[in-house]
Amino acid sequence: MPTRRQILKAAVFPAIVPCSVLGQRSGAVPPSDKIVFGGIGIGARGNSDLRALLSFGQARFVAICDVRNERREAVKSMVDQKYGNRDCQMYDDQYALLARGDIDAVLIATGDRWHTPLSIIAAQHGKDVYCEKPCSMSMEESWALADAFRRYNRVYQAGCQRRNGGNFQLCKELLKSGVLGKLQTLYANVGPSVNWPPLPSRDWLPAAELPPKQVIDWDRWLGPAPWRPYNPEYVRGGWRNYYDFHGGGILEWGSHTVDLCHWAADLDETQPISYEPVGGNVGPYKVNCKYANGVNLVMRDDGWDGSLKTGSCSFRIEGDKGWVETGDATRIECSDNIKPFLRPTTAANLALAYHLEDLLRCIKTRQQPQASAAAAANSHIVCHAAFIAFQRGKTLTWDPAKREFTNDEIANRMRSRALREPWRV
Amino acid sequence: MQQATQTAPATAAAKPPKPTPPLEFQEGDIAKMDAAGLVKILSDANASEFQKARACQRAGELGAKDAVPAMAALLSDEHLNTYARYGLEPIADPSVDEALRASLPKLKGLFLIGVINSIGKRRDAKAVPELTKLMSDADPQIATAAIASLGKIGGVATMKQLLGALPKTSGAVHLAVADAGLVCAESLLAEGQRDHALNLYGYLSSPAIPKPVRLAAMNAIIREETSTRRPR
Repeated sequence: MPTRRQILKAAVFPAIVPCSVLGQRSGAVPPSDKIVFGGIGIGARGNSDLRALLSFGQARFVAICDVRNERREAVKSMVDQKYGNRDCQMYDDQYALLARGDIDAVLIATGDRWHTPLSIIAAQHGKDVYCEKPCSMSMEESWALADAFRRYNRVYQAGCQRRNGGNFQLCKELLKSGVLGKLQTLYANVGPSVNWPPLPSRDWLPAAELPPKQVIDWDRWLGPAPWRPYNPEYVRGGWRNYYDFHGGGILEWGSHTVDLCHWAADLDETQPISYEPVGGNVGPYKVNCKYANGVNLVMRDDGWDGSLKTGSCSFRIEGDKGWVETGDATRIECSDNIKPFLRPTTAANLALAYHLEDLLRCIKTRQQPQASAAAAANSHIVCHAAFIAFQRGKTLTWDPAKREFTNDEIANRMRSRALREPWRV
Repeated sequence: MQQATQTAPATAAAKPPKPTPPLEFQEGDIAKMDAAGLVKILSDANASEFQKARACQRAGELGAKDAVPAMAALLSDEHLNTYARYGLEPIADPSVDEALRASLPKLKGLFLIGVINSIGKRRDAKAVPELTKLMSDADPQIATAAIASLGKIGGVATMKQLLGALPKTSGAVHLAVADAGLVCAESLLAEGQRDHALNLYGYLSSPAIPKPVRLAAMNAIIREETSTRRPR
């Protein structure tokens, strides 16, 4: 065995150590202080997340895992170009990426069906997680997600970036300050049914010729979703129209806007006790919900950039003294008596950067960020309950403590979905 | 007054019309079918994969226990086994547990893993002896599935099995045993078996345990020992 002196003698030290490595340049982060990320399933939305992440000096992205070769290559190219090297490693097996001891956290932006199982596996491997929404495919997955991150004491940030958006935060402040009066009704504007209706299709598309596995690994693409024949429409993004892959328009957008309502009104630890679906799968629809304290929550598609033009993913808070509404347009609309309280806020397009900054800070401090697993699970459960009520076509009553519907056994049987083997949560 | 600092995104543009599925892949009447109709489809050798898949999902939602034997017969079907479990898992009838247990010795590979996962989800304590045997299966995926299901079923007997397996396993199976230990400890706590839970957490805090689990166990001990609900 070599002695310490021999090792030191043989070691080659650089004559000049760049000051950035030592963290001496203003704003520079020494490598040992960087949070090392890997990514799983980075597509269109994930690209936005990744671009924002790469802008942070304290984060370093080192590996990509994807079932699609073209996406692996595209992400590697983007990352290598950013860092001026060829170091980003590519994987087609998530376990190989998660086994890397140098990776602290993972960015998960796969299709919805993978979100919960992958997040849980990442937690079991000791990784912190940023995961796109919707975070779960069922109530059962939501509970499992929250349990796993509590159990492993890992940091989780759901892709509900508006929690860190300045205009949304001002609305929350207005409610908390009391100027809106006693909270009466929250409005979570969900996307118009022309895009993704509340009830996704249970049909299958016709079988098409399966491409070579290195181009698209259909088995891994399906992952935890039940088998169906390959069709390129799913892979191109059309999966969102199908029940086995998607929770419909309510979950798609409620995972943002219901989440905003819960966050703004400090409802992250409870859920409505009744869900009344109104309307059908075509045309305007809504779900009227009520909390035990009498507060109402309305999920509605006609508020989506409706007459107030507050933009997509908008939400509205009504108190007994005033109301306020905002969305991705950043503009805040409100009752006249609230206007003196408004002030300029950060641009909506900065919400994602602030959201990632929140995550990075929490990875260092081991606090939970704004959209923690517990908070995201809670708001997702509300969306799942509304989705189930819409499928059942009747008003459902819900016991948040017992985690069960109290007036419909069929609804209770819809709280979970079997996962394709070997996957489980 | 509030200033918009960027152009408001337009209302999400309408997507192009989605492709129309062929008639044989359209849900049609199955969405409204009663249990008898579903059993007829599931037992019909001429029914398509799509019809049987949807019939399983509908049967599960209806809680159609008459459909249990027909769905159990699909547990070894390459394309329909997940749908069969989709139908079976939510039906709260002992016949489902019996069917799942009975299928264990007949299945191999992924089919077996699927059933093991369903048993764990249903927390079927009667399956503990079979699952205990499968813990040491040569296929690590089968072993880890059995271990995870045992963790979900929980109980003192399971705790002892997991503790016994900890020093004998390695790699992914070892990680699965440790993870199942955490899950089992939580259920012991929930059942008021605090001493057993803390004992289990203690084992899981030892240096030989994978770091994520070790840290989780230490965290749980600190949480429990500093809890205001702690017995004094």
